[in-house]
Amino acid sequence: MIERGKINDNQFRVLVILFIFGPAVLLETSLLAAAAKQDAWISAVVGVGIGLLIVWLYTKIGSKFPERNLFEKLEYVFGKWIGKIVSLLFFFFFFQLAAHILRNIGDFVTVHIMPETPIHFVEIIFLCIVIMGVRLGLEPIARTGEILFPWVIFFFFIMIVSLPPEFKIENIKPVFEGGIKPILKGSTTVIAFPFMESILFLMIYPYVNKIKEANKAFFTGALIGGGVLILISVYTILVLGADFTARNVYPSYALAKKINIADFFQRIEAIVAGMWFISIFYKLTICFYASTVGLAQILNLKEYRSLTLPLGMIMVVLSIIISPSMAEFMSYLPKYEFPFNLTFGLFFPLLFLVVAKIRKKTGKEPMNQTKGDGL
Amino acid sequence: MLASIGIVVTALMMAVIEVPYLLRKRLKRELWAFSALLAFGTSLSILHVLKVPLPSPHEWIAFLYKPLSDVIYRTLQ
Repeated sequence: MIERGKINDNQFRVLVILFIFGPAVLLETSLLAAAAKQDAWISAVVGVGIGLLIVWLYTKIGSKFPERNLFEKLEYVFGKWIGKIVSLLFFFFFFQLAAHILRNIGDFVTVHIMPETPIHFVEIIFLCIVIMGVRLGLEPIARTGEILFPWVIFFFFIMIVSLPPEFKIENIKPVFEGGIKPILKGSTTVIAFPFMESILFLMIYPYVNKIKEANKAFFTGALIGGGVLILISVYTILVLGADFTARNVYPSYALAKKINIADFFQRIEAIVAGMWFISIFYKLTICFYASTVGLAQILNLKEYRSLTLPLGMIMVVLSIIISPSMAEFMSYLPKYEFPFNLTFGLFFPLLFLVVAKIRKKTGKEPMNQTKGDGL
Repeated sequence: MLASIGIVVTALMMAVIEVPYLLRKRLKRELWAFSALLAFGTSLSILHVLKVPLPSPHEWIAFLYKPLSDVIYRTLQ
C-alpha cells in the first residue's frame, strides 16, 4: 500500500464539498449564463441532478473491491496491461485537470488582485504549498481541510446574507424563454465540471476507514456542493443579470463586489476571495495527489513523494501552455470539456462495471485471492 | 539565458533534496523515475522560457473530440 494514512468519513465529506465548490463556483455561472441566459439557475438544477446520479455511479464502483483504489481496480478488472494503459490515460486526465486548476488560480490572481506579477510566480508559490501538502500525505490534507472548512462557510455565509438587498427580480424573467435545449446545453458544463471530475475521489476511497460511511459521505458532500452551486447561480442571475454574468469570467467575484450594506460594509471581495483560495487549494491538492500516487502505481514504485517536485515543475509549464489566453480557455470549456470528461467520467466507469460483471459470471475473477504486487 | 540557468539550478536543488534519500533507501526504480521526470521537466521548462512554441493539449483534445462535440451540441442547438 502506497498510502498508509486513514481518514474518517467527515473529513472525506469536507474534501468532496471543497472539491465541488472549488473553481466551479468561480467560473461555472459564466458558462451557464452564456448557454441558458436568465434560465441559468434551472440549468444548474438540472446539471446538479444528473451530476448526483453520476456520483451515485461512482459510489457503486467505490464499493466494488473496496480495499483497492481506482488504478488498482482498473488493473484488477482489465488485466495487467490494458489496466496499465487505461490507468495512464486516467493519469493524463487528472494531470491536465490539475494544470487547469493551477491556471485558474493564476489567472484569477493576475487579473483581479496582482496584475503586475507574472503568472508563473503566482503559480509556483501556490504550487509550493500544494507540493508540501501532497508530500505530507492524505491524513494531514484531510485534517487541515476540516480546520479550514468553517472559514469557507463563514465567507460564504457573509455573501449569502448581505446580498439580498441587491436582488432585482426582473433579471430572472422571462422564465423558459429559450425552451429546454439551452437549459440542457448549460447543464452539460455543470455535469462535466465539477461532477464528472469527482471520479478522482475513487483514488482516495480505500483510505476512508469505513466504506459504507464513505459512500454516504461522497453523496452528501456532492449534494451540499451542488446546492451551493445552485445557490450561487441563482444569486448571480438575480444580482448581476444574465448578460453581465455571461460576459464576466469570474461572476462570483463580481457578485462579492456588489456587497454594500449602508454604504459602510462594502468592497470586501478580497476577503471573500479567501473561500476560493481555500477551496481551489484543496481541489488542486487532491488532483495533484491523485496524479502523483497514480503515476507511482503505474510505475510500480514503493513511494510517491520523490515524484512531486519534478511533476510540479512539469505542471507549471503545462498550465501555461495549455491555453494561450483566458478567452481561449473560456471558449474551450463549453465545447470540449463535456465530451472529453464523458470518456473518463462515464465511458470507462460503465465499461469497468460491465467487465467486472462479466468476469464475475465467467468465474475468471479470483475473488478470494489476496492482493498481489505489494501495492 | 538567465532564466534557463535558474531552471537548471532549481532542478539541481530538487536533486539535492531527493537523491540522497533515495540512494540511502536503495530505491532504484524511484531514482530512475525521478531522474527521468526531472530531465523531462527541466527540458520542457527551458524550451518554454526560450519561447519555443510547444503544442497545447487543448489542441489535441479539440482535434480528437470535435466530431463528438459537434454531435452533442448540434442536437442541443
